[in-house]
Amino acid sequence: MTCRGTQRHTQPVGLYVHVPFCQAKCRYCGFYSEPIGPHDPQRLVLALLRELDLYRQVESIRTVYIGGGSPTVLPQDLLVDLVRMIAARYPRIEEFTVECNPSQTGHGLLGRLREAGVNRVSIGVQSFHPHELELLGRCHNVKQIGQAVGQAKAGGFDNVGIDLIFAIPGSTIESWRSCLESAIALEVQHVSAYSLSFEQGTPLDKSRQEGRLQVVNEEMDRDMYQLTIQTLQEAGFDHYEVSNFARPGFACQHNIGYWLNRPFIGIGPSAASYWKGRRTTNVADIARYITDIESGFDPVVEIVVPTGLDRLCETAVLNLRMRDGIDLERFAEETGCDAMDVFAEPIRLHQGLGLIGIDADRVRLTDEALPIADSVLCDFTDIESVRQDWTIQSVPN
Amino acid sequence: MDTKFIRNFSIIAHIDHGKSTLADRMLELTGTITARQAKDQFLDSMDLERERGITIKASAVTMDYDYNGQRYMLNLIDTPGHVDFHYEVSRALAACEGAILVVDATQGVQAQTVANAYLATETGCEIVGVINKVDLPAAQPELVAEEMDHVFGISKGQCFHISAKTGLGVKELLDGVCRLLPPPQDRTDEPTRALIFDSLSDEYRGVICYVRVFSGSLKIRQKIRFMGTDRTYQVTELGKFRADMTPVDDLGTGEVGYVIANIRNLGDVTVGDTITDDTHPADSPIKGYKRPMQMVFSDFYPGNQTDFPKLRAAFEKLTLNDASFSFAPQNSPALGFGFRCGFLGLLHMEIVQERLERESDVDVVQTAPTVSYEILLKDGSVKRIDSPSDLPDLSKVAELREPFVRLEVITPTDCIGGVMKLTEVRRCKLIKTDYLNPTRVIMEYKAPLAEIVYDFYDQIKGISHGYATMDYEFTGFEESDLVKIDILVNHTPVDALALIVHRSTAEARGRRLVIKLKKSIPRHQFEIPLQVAIGGKIIARESIKPFRKDVTAKLYGGDVTRKMKVLKKQKEGKKRMKSIGSVQIPQQAFMSILDTGE
Repeated sequence: MTCRGTQRHTQPVGLYVHVPFCQAKCRYCGFYSEPIGPHDPQRLVLALLRELDLYRQVESIRTVYIGGGSPTVLPQDLLVDLVRMIAARYPRIEEFTVECNPSQTGHGLLGRLREAGVNRVSIGVQSFHPHELELLGRCHNVKQIGQAVGQAKAGGFDNVGIDLIFAIPGSTIESWRSCLESAIALEVQHVSAYSLSFEQGTPLDKSRQEGRLQVVNEEMDRDMYQLTIQTLQEAGFDHYEVSNFARPGFACQHNIGYWLNRPFIGIGPSAASYWKGRRTTNVADIARYITDIESGFDPVVEIVVPTGLDRLCETAVLNLRMRDGIDLERFAEETGCDAMDVFAEPIRLHQGLGLIGIDADRVRLTDEALPIADSVLCDFTDIESVRQDWTIQSVPN
Repeated sequence: MDTKFIRNFSIIAHIDHGKSTLADRMLELTGTITARQAKDQFLDSMDLERERGITIKASAVTMDYDYNGQRYMLNLIDTPGHVDFHYEVSRALAACEGAILVVDATQGVQAQTVANAYLATETGCEIVGVINKVDLPAAQPELVAEEMDHVFGISKGQCFHISAKTGLGVKELLDGVCRLLPPPQDRTDEPTRALIFDSLSDEYRGVICYVRVFSGSLKIRQKIRFMGTDRTYQVTELGKFRADMTPVDDLGTGEVGYVIANIRNLGDVTVGDTITDDTHPADSPIKGYKRPMQMVFSDFYPGNQTDFPKLRAAFEKLTLNDASFSFAPQNSPALGFGFRCGFLGLLHMEIVQERLERESDVDVVQTAPTVSYEILLKDGSVKRIDSPSDLPDLSKVAELREPFVRLEVITPTDCIGGVMKLTEVRRCKLIKTDYLNPTRVIMEYKAPLAEIVYDFYDQIKGISHGYATMDYEFTGFEESDLVKIDILVNHTPVDALALIVHRSTAEARGRRLVIKLKKSIPRHQFEIPLQVAIGGKIIARESIKPFRKDVTAKLYGGDVTRKMKVLKKQKEGKKRMKSIGSVQIPQQAFMSILDTGE
């Protein structure tokens, strides 16, 4: 295993740390995680730090996101230590987020995290209705939500985000409206609101296939989505990405890095990285990950090297998910190409249908396009004809 | 050979009534082939024929038979069992002086038998009645004899009772052929006239013509002329079909055999044409032939557009031994490149389809069959069209005519109600009802062909639990209240979906079509109206609701590669579709609509 970060990096880089443990697996969750039970969390944390060592010279890390799984399942001291080690290693971190499960924020944890260098928490609220939490298989209750947010504020966090899920089977416009109102009442800085997706292989998906769920239809899903946008905007949130809302100045910088198609380092089992022009994925197996790291092997199991054209498309698709869309100047700077030129055809097509709007320096999806964004974005996934005069810059790093 | 001792005859029978078995017994009895050779039903030379239990191509075989101390030459000319092959049947019958009409003693007279018997009578053939399978326990020869008397006027005493399987009565039948059927007329001294009643293409020898000599004779190395095409050739081989192709030096008046004359393309031989001597030609060709008329049309599209050349090659191969099938390339904006194919009738179409499947590995999608229409224009000219898109501007049209057939359905009496109901829906007019016996009735209708080309036979079979049989014969074009219905997708008419239908059924058929279309066009970013129109008037309407929600909720760093793949797939899905205006329609959607009718 060689050192992966020998050069200096000036472009902001994100660091994602995957903690693959959960108290119990949520019924809708398709991410890699395991019950902490049989594993030694300390060994995992040591392995994470060892993997991080590979990037010790990357000085440009500006954002850190510890997610999972449930990072808060880790023994408190261990999680705090992990945060300290990271914070100590990268002095120029601007945003440091830890994902929290509302049932695991007690015992002074949040205050300690804040002290250790975390400045943002993202709380997995999902719903304010007990029966929905039960259906999703969440292990927290409604009361714990308020407590967790209170603890975050008391612990010194002024940047608190929550995650919500809508279109949960059985839900109605009214039940969702009350969720949104409860969320607003928490006075948090950031809300991510996701339409429930049935990930293949999850227990929830199985129930759906067996016809045991009263699935929300597309029309209501759309209405709920539009209600989300309207309600949160009226409450003073900026809608800055398909599913993300923030009070001014509180947009999640780490996630924006993804949508700008900037490089990021991911460590931990199943974590993905986009580094030196390669997209890699670590092995989704805690035991193997730990042994690989401990014995000096690279835990990467998948490597994809996007071509220059891939990069153009990825950048466009990711940028367009943000309400600010493609900043033409930035796009040209980072890719060497004029997006108006490269994507002339899909832009013209969708502009004609009122799904894409163009102003002086940006191309973005219209409000109309948002609920059906994929049907627009799919036309930005390849380029019909490549012109000779395009000089597509290679991927930085 | 003295024409007095030649007998040319066909066997007419319904499928499975034992025609091929009878032919095999005759071949054995005359020593033409051995019993072992007969095992595979000698006359059926194509796999398909054997499997379907029917013969497609007329074939001919020469047998020697001693009767009353005299050697006779018996030429058995095989005919297809179904009247879709009217033309083939007529060609074979025209080469004969007589026909053996075989009816199964357990089944009785069937519709196809009736139609073929009529045709034989029209062609001037003398008919010998045969009741087969009399050895079976379920045989009712007396009842069947009554039916034959009733339908064909063959008196009970004239019927031969046989079992082709055991050979019972076959010798007596052969004696009967010599005794009862007329010999060919002796026109040995007249100029050569030989009728081509069939042809096939052989990979090594080129085209082989089956002929019946009516006057004069054909000789090896003779310079011959085809009177219809006015082409000349030199005979390189003459012969007769016995156990094998047996070359001879000449074919005299009344004889049946084959001619090979260095003809490369089957298309150069018009079946029904007359061969004459190039230096001493006959004054006029042989009359009495019906030209094949393609009445049923269907489009074949390769499932995969890159298979278009392969499909063409496959069709070319099919035409090598089926002169009555035609194909013409066509391009539909909706369906891509394909072929419009013409058939004599439904069974013919099915056979071509099966042969295509068997003999080529091209995946094809076939549209529901349609018929040919006749148009009287205001300038007095008459035009035939095979496709709704060929319909001229209606302001120039004085009259639209559709093909009518004489339809015969033979059914058990307890199913009359069901048959009547179906025929009424299908615009059939009952001409007469005739009881074959107290339990079976023959119903004759005047019916529009368009109504029976699709799914009619299946329904008749369903109604009668498989007992009814039907046949039809084209009688002519007649004026009809026809309209062209257009299907508009997002206000754009789709050529491939236009239909010519009777006004009374226009709305129902149009609606069925758009409902199907609605199911198979994926939703778009906007609402898509689907309309059925006659002229400019919308008579039915459906709409495809737009996408309401199509957005990935979560897309972060680790999901990029996978998500890009998913989106790319979504785009490729779009690319495979045909654009009708701004609407993307998968080719498969069209196919599924057309394939299963409406």
